[in-house]
Amino acid sequence: MEDRIVEFVNGLRAAGVRISLAESADAFRATEHIGIIDRGMFRAALRATLVKDSVDVPTFERLFPLYFGSGGPPMFDPNQELSSDDINKLKDAVRDLLGDDDRLQQLLRYLLEGANPTREEMERLANQAGVPLARHPYQQQWLTRRMLRQLGLDEEFQELMAQLFQKLEQMGMSREAMQRLAQIAEENLQRLEEQFEQYVGMQIAQNAAKQPRERQTFRGPDLMNRSFSSLNEREIAELRNQIRRLASRLRSRAALRQRRGKRGALDSKRTIRANLRHASIPIELKHRRRHLKPKLVLICDISTSVRAVVEFMLRLVYELQDQIHSARSFVFIDDIRDVSAEFAQHRPEIAVQKVLDDNPPGYYNTNLGYALTHFCKEHLGTVDHRTTVIILGDGRNNYASPRLDSFQEIKKRARKVVWFNPENRRQWGTGDSDMLVYEPLCDSVHIVGKLAELAEAIDHLFESR
Amino acid sequence: MFKDISEVKSALAAQQYIATDEIATVVYLAQKLQKPLLVEGPAGVGKTELAKAWAGAAKQELIRLQCYEGLDETKALYEWEYAKQMLYTQLLRDKLHDLLSDSKTLAEAADKLADEEDVFFSKRFLLPRPLLRAIVSETPTHLLIDEIDRADAEFEAFLLEVLSDFQISVPELGTIKAQHLPVVILTSNNTRELSEALKRRCLYLYIDYPTAEAELRIVKLKVPDLSPQLAKQAVELVQRLRKLDLKKHPSVSETIDWARALVMLNSKSLDQKTLENTLTVLLKHEHDVMRAQRLLSEFTIGDEKEEGEDDDDDDTVPPLPRRSSPKR
Repeated sequence: MEDRIVEFVNGLRAAGVRISLAESADAFRATEHIGIIDRGMFRAALRATLVKDSVDVPTFERLFPLYFGSGGPPMFDPNQELSSDDINKLKDAVRDLLGDDDRLQQLLRYLLEGANPTREEMERLANQAGVPLARHPYQQQWLTRRMLRQLGLDEEFQELMAQLFQKLEQMGMSREAMQRLAQIAEENLQRLEEQFEQYVGMQIAQNAAKQPRERQTFRGPDLMNRSFSSLNEREIAELRNQIRRLASRLRSRAALRQRRGKRGALDSKRTIRANLRHASIPIELKHRRRHLKPKLVLICDISTSVRAVVEFMLRLVYELQDQIHSARSFVFIDDIRDVSAEFAQHRPEIAVQKVLDDNPPGYYNTNLGYALTHFCKEHLGTVDHRTTVIILGDGRNNYASPRLDSFQEIKKRARKVVWFNPENRRQWGTGDSDMLVYEPLCDSVHIVGKLAELAEAIDHLFESR
Repeated sequence: MFKDISEVKSALAAQQYIATDEIATVVYLAQKLQKPLLVEGPAGVGKTELAKAWAGAAKQELIRLQCYEGLDETKALYEWEYAKQMLYTQLLRDKLHDLLSDSKTLAEAADKLADEEDVFFSKRFLLPRPLLRAIVSETPTHLLIDEIDRADAEFEAFLLEVLSDFQISVPELGTIKAQHLPVVILTSNNTRELSEALKRRCLYLYIDYPTAEAELRIVKLKVPDLSPQLAKQAVELVQRLRKLDLKKHPSVSETIDWARALVMLNSKSLDQKTLENTLTVLLKHEHDVMRAQRLLSEFTIGDEKEEGEDDDDDDTVPPLPRRSSPKR
């Protein structure tokens, strides 16, 4: 049993669950107390000691039955149901029909006589089906079917069964007995499949455990440090799931900063009150709190090149609503559009999706200069001396005028103008990039090529001053 | 000390806490292995309740440390009671005067005073916060560290130290070691990734929303006045709501609140009007309430339809079962 637990721990590790030595030792101690008689308790004991993250629970649940399964339900024995006369008829019919085809005989023995496949038989079938090479859980179903096929379970088999029943009818087996027999065969087929499935699953898990651990399954930190452009669809989806977590982390940091930020002036009234109990000796000083939540105006480029960043940026900002005084969002490709209404109506993830869907990428000419001018004309009222303006984009203008005059105008009104650029500094100024012209006018510029950088840049927004 | 798992279960049940086999097993293990238990799960599934019931079942005091952003050692461990020290100094002024009056030089007086320093930094002036209280307690205690994910990472690191050897050093007093190892329960709503080191030291229990059956048992236990019929309907509805994509799913505690509300309002059935009036007990976001109401209009209609179909099924002979159980 102990070997089995060790194998199980290896299997879990191979599937990407982190288990330390101390934890596996705990598992052993736990099983000493619990025993292995009650399967449910045994499972709970292993789970409590080995799995420490709810994300890993499904992996545990998948692997546990493979290692500690019963090996599938045993075959159902028809001898208890059918009269011996019927059984003999069945045997005769099978012999007549198949002659000496070993393979099918074997299959019918499982289905109609309730024989359980032995370990060796399983192994042989598995080898033929190619199980020893399998390493991925999703191959389980397919390999199970292959094993059944190896055993002779194919289209012809259905016909064979029909023939068999015809024969039985000729031999004078009663209708009920035949019906019962058909049910038993069906039932046993299910059970056989389950036995095979468990066997295959177990083998796959063991194969995987034997593999040297080359690539861990994706974990948050790695993805956060990969550049947006190198992520595939699946990884982006993975990141989307993490964004809420990330937001709450940022939120707690922002909130903490608010709390710890004792930069306000001495609050004499509160100090005197607090120190009354110290005979008015000012031991505890009280400061006036400064609650300066940022007011944001976001101007986001949503042309193809920066879409991924925009999505995460918008989601993060709106998940952080409660730490922000207010946020207005504008998107542009060639012209600017106010999308704050979408965020007022829908939850952030839906709103972001809607905004992106409503403005499909195409062969627009990205024109930041024009968008800025238009912004000055229509929406300059949203910017005041408390507002931080964030421009998110790669600063590529398609050789149009950068319109620095409009940019200056915005800067004059705003508290701060911050630029988030997903491109590397190296690429700035190449081709149609106007980034180098804009850069000196910004209060700060952040490179946000990865989620980690984006998170950090957003975190900066909450620093007072 | 519980002798076996069934005893854990019945003891928790006596505290009005219905434990699944898994919960009972893990609680038993945590006590046997003397390890802290980290309980995770959505808000309101009874994590804190488990700690209370456990302490109640073991007939031990429950010391609770509620975590929040910015929680620090002075709030969790101990603090010197300045005011009391000050008061004592004031009241003992005469005595101090007597003591110091015969000293000739300032240095001598200071030395004398220093000898008495211990009086002012003694346990008398130490204000024990939950962690210290659990450690110095004369009797075995249960220590509940609630919502650890809300505290900062630095605090978590500090906690780790305390949990690993249950001793605390107070610079002025020296090291204080626990007389009895407290049973430690940590809860987390999983808003933040906890450190690996902390997780490694704990046993882990994930409590999810209960199944319909279990929830019904809980409702019946906690709100015995609700008619069984209504309780069943209510639980079914809550279970359905949890399948929706809502901002916040109704928790078990909210189900109980709702059941109580139904009793208070003397509701006979879950009709449209009752639902509209009481839905806000379950759902706390305007947006969610609207979504749920849309569902509910379907729910009541859908229910009738389902029943109708059931009737039909009873009349007609069922087709030959494809796969029948062997016992039939």
